[in-house]
Amino acid sequence: MAMDINDKHRLKNRLLKAGHLIALFIAMCIICVPGLWVVVNSFRPTVEIMAKPPVWIPTEFNLDHYRAMFGAVGEGGIPVVRYFTNSLIISVTSTLIALLVGMAGGYAFARYRFKGKAAIFVGMMLTRAVPGIALSLPLFIVFARVGIIDTHFGLILAYVAMNVPFTIWLIDGFFRQVPKELAEAAEIDGCTRWQAFWKVEFPVAKAGIASAGIFAFLTSWNEYALASQLTRSVNSKTMPVGLLDFTSEFTLNWGGMSALAVVMIIPALILTFIVQKHLIAGLTFGGVKG
Amino acid sequence: MRRSKLPEWFVLLLPAFIILAAVVLIPLVLSFYSSFTAYRLTRPDSINNWIGFRNYVRLFEDAGFWWAFGRTVFLLTIALNLEMLLGLGLALLVNKVTWGQRGLRTIMMFPMMFSPVLVGFQFKFIFNDNIGLMNNALQSLGLTDQAIPWLVDGGLAMFSIIFAEVWMSTSVFAILILAGLFAVPQDPLEAAKVDGCTPWQTFRHITLPFIMPFIYIALAIRSLDVARAYDIVKIMTNGGPANRTELIWTQLARTGYVDAKMGLANAMGYISIFLAIFFTVYFFRKLNASRQILGMAD
Amino acid sequence: MKKFYLSVSAAALMLSAPSALAAEFDGVELEAKLIGGEQYERLYSRIAEWEKETGASVKIISKKNHFELDKEFKSDLAAGTTSWCVGSNHSSFASQYPQLYTDLTPFLTEEFIGEYVSSNIAASKLDGKLVMLPRAQFDVSALYYQKDLFEDEDNKGKFKEEYGYDLAPAETWEQVSDQATFFTDPPNFYGTQYAGKDEAIVGRYYEMVVAEGGQLFNEDWSPAFNSEEGKRALKWFVDLYQNKSVPAGTPSYLWDDLGQGFASGNVAVNLDWPGWAGFFNDPASSKIAGNVGVVAPPKGSAGVRTGWSGHHGFSVTESCDNKEAAASLVAFLTNEDSQKLESEAGPLPTRSAVWDHVIESSKDDPYRAEVLAAFQEAASTAFPAPQTPYWIEATNLIFPQLQAAILGDKTIDEALAEAADEVDSMMKDEGVY
Repeated sequence: MAMDINDKHRLKNRLLKAGHLIALFIAMCIICVPGLWVVVNSFRPTVEIMAKPPVWIPTEFNLDHYRAMFGAVGEGGIPVVRYFTNSLIISVTSTLIALLVGMAGGYAFARYRFKGKAAIFVGMMLTRAVPGIALSLPLFIVFARVGIIDTHFGLILAYVAMNVPFTIWLIDGFFRQVPKELAEAAEIDGCTRWQAFWKVEFPVAKAGIASAGIFAFLTSWNEYALASQLTRSVNSKTMPVGLLDFTSEFTLNWGGMSALAVVMIIPALILTFIVQKHLIAGLTFGGVKG
Repeated sequence: MRRSKLPEWFVLLLPAFIILAAVVLIPLVLSFYSSFTAYRLTRPDSINNWIGFRNYVRLFEDAGFWWAFGRTVFLLTIALNLEMLLGLGLALLVNKVTWGQRGLRTIMMFPMMFSPVLVGFQFKFIFNDNIGLMNNALQSLGLTDQAIPWLVDGGLAMFSIIFAEVWMSTSVFAILILAGLFAVPQDPLEAAKVDGCTPWQTFRHITLPFIMPFIYIALAIRSLDVARAYDIVKIMTNGGPANRTELIWTQLARTGYVDAKMGLANAMGYISIFLAIFFTVYFFRKLNASRQILGMAD
Repeated sequence: MKKFYLSVSAAALMLSAPSALAAEFDGVELEAKLIGGEQYERLYSRIAEWEKETGASVKIISKKNHFELDKEFKSDLAAGTTSWCVGSNHSSFASQYPQLYTDLTPFLTEEFIGEYVSSNIAASKLDGKLVMLPRAQFDVSALYYQKDLFEDEDNKGKFKEEYGYDLAPAETWEQVSDQATFFTDPPNFYGTQYAGKDEAIVGRYYEMVVAEGGQLFNEDWSPAFNSEEGKRALKWFVDLYQNKSVPAGTPSYLWDDLGQGFASGNVAVNLDWPGWAGFFNDPASSKIAGNVGVVAPPKGSAGVRTGWSGHHGFSVTESCDNKEAAASLVAFLTNEDSQKLESEAGPLPTRSAVWDHVIESSKDDPYRAEVLAAFQEAASTAFPAPQTPYWIEATNLIFPQLQAAILGDKTIDEALAEAADEVDSMMKDEGVY
């Protein structure tokens, strides 16, 4: 009898485990298939991508789309390397600046009491609520007057502004995590506030900064609405804007677009994998304490 | 030490203030002003043509605009809730896994690597009724012998857009909620087990309240940048057919850039900003309330 | 005096002869905003040649696709940042920014202008101002079809039995309708398809109204399409959709969907642009390569061929510091050699001599010869989009109504009445009449 219950229990456990794995597998499929479809398309000739009846098992894999993309202008080539460098410079720089500004701001919110703090905080968050499409033209006019259209600087500035609210929020939560007394103790030990910050508070906040960083990076890396308005030539065009190079008035080269998409996705994926360890920890601390 | 007259907190916040003012506030003032003019892009002088509330009055009288507005609210509500539920489910599934979590979490975030424009093109082709992946798969599996017009039928077109949006953004919820699950203290969970609570009861009464703040943070974050969905909708349906998927953003972009009526478009922009503000403030409130329950608020 | 001087330089450019004038624009730097994309960029390799000849240099400050450029030009007008010199332009969009571009006539000789196809020059003018010079990117549609379907004896017999006349590539739109119905076998095969949204469907509707003997606008730009001709034209679209002879997704299609759909081999007949001719016949991109036939666009009930057309070109801004140099570049990029280079890859020229040249040089390529013959015929009866600054805005008002009729949300009468109403109040708002 006891054996029986045990068996039943074991069976139930096994079923649960299997159910969990199946559900996980299906979920991962739904996540991956539309994305992998893009990746696979970048290696297939156009005639197979849009086939009917469909070609489920690709008969041919080649690098034609990549070769064309890196090839000569006028034969399907686009300045991928320039776009990639632009994207990289703009995303990395804007992420770093957003983190610095966010650290200063987050520290202020976490460590100081001042009038209208909550209102200022929500107000800052709300600047992010302005739809890119509503902001793009007035922003363009302002930038054009200042003369920073089609420059790295212009886009970096815009992305810093986009990312600052969220970085402040996350980092603020982190600094609250560090007991005030700890920093005060360091100050008593002869550290300046500045030293105390770097020695005591910063190390604890590192994970939060990493996770804020990855979010900021991904936002800048993929942003399109503002970039399409503020960039114009190879001087500053980023890869999302470059995707549109594969469209003309009447045609669209989906294979080529997929190839550029893969070039965009892979660095972001690698970076996410590297930062993954800090990511969860970072979001945990940043979230609970407000 | 304190030589400056400005309070320290202000100095620390100053860079953020300056940048946000330069990039967001000044342009907004400009567009706010222009929403009271008959501003046409192609005739820059028209920005001096003050017409008072005409643009707003016109919008308030325009049934098409309010339909688009309602549809946007509908889309936001459905998409955010679905993303929240699916994200929660996904986080629970991944949380249980003991091996290869780092890789699994990276895969979970895979859609976050896709630029919204790309997602638009991708799903436009996937949902193409004639040669798209979706219909091809359904027909090959023998589930239908019809070519389902995903992007045309009123209900299905909205569904397709929501599907694309949910696919792109569920990861954000999943990763934040997963962080919440990691932070759930183990003691109450053990205690619950000892007390013979069912897994559902444990989840309902211990885990869920604890991760509620994370859910609201995710909702707040997402409602802030939900207008990113514009890039997707623009490419997939551009509000069509026959206005069945027209959203406030597609209408705004068409009015502003294609018809060049920026004054009117900016008036729409202001109404859509209020919409975003409403959603965000609502979730902020909820967030604070759920923190209060945990005793974590200021 | 100036005109004489330039006529000499234009002649020199045409001959590409190195001469004493070689360094006439020494040190000049021109900023240019050019359309990007595979189809358009081949030509830009010639810019270096012009730089060498004139001593000027060209700085490309923007390269985007057409719709993005349109947005950019409007933003430039708004911000007052129009100090650049040369811009890509399109005949259907040019009327939106009448003050942006300068009249090129003073910089060119009459003979030089006379070498372009006169209808293209006419479509490049706004209120008598020549605002752009057409490049070899002329677009008009012709009817592509799958050859074997029309050669199949079984099809021929059955078709004759059902419709009482011989199955052959369509000469009228009514025949297209019959054939589409005949060939359709959803969801695997469709008779035809059409662009279903944005400016695209309004353009298609516009040419059909003309083919039915009507007009979209009256002389004073009040809407004229709520007429018998307008209704007949819309009925063609509605009927095909309602009897399922076009894919159900048609109202969501734009040009790329149409081209990909036809190339995937499950559409029998397809009205499409010359840019696709190569794509359809290339085994790497199309399943029907080797099986593609092309004829001139069919006629409507008024005996008129459809022929909504447009062309790309280059313009010089009003605020350009060195209009002579800019005009010289624009002339160079659209001269005979440039058009030969560009049309070699497939696009249609806008110069009479280059038309002769491409037809002559395609003699040994039957497909290319067939394509050119069809498009030449199409070009001879083509007409541009209505030249009002409010054309694009009007299309945004009309297309949702056309879609509503096609989907059956509204009757044809209701949809057209509403569209006409909206266009009418828009025109009044803009003070057109």
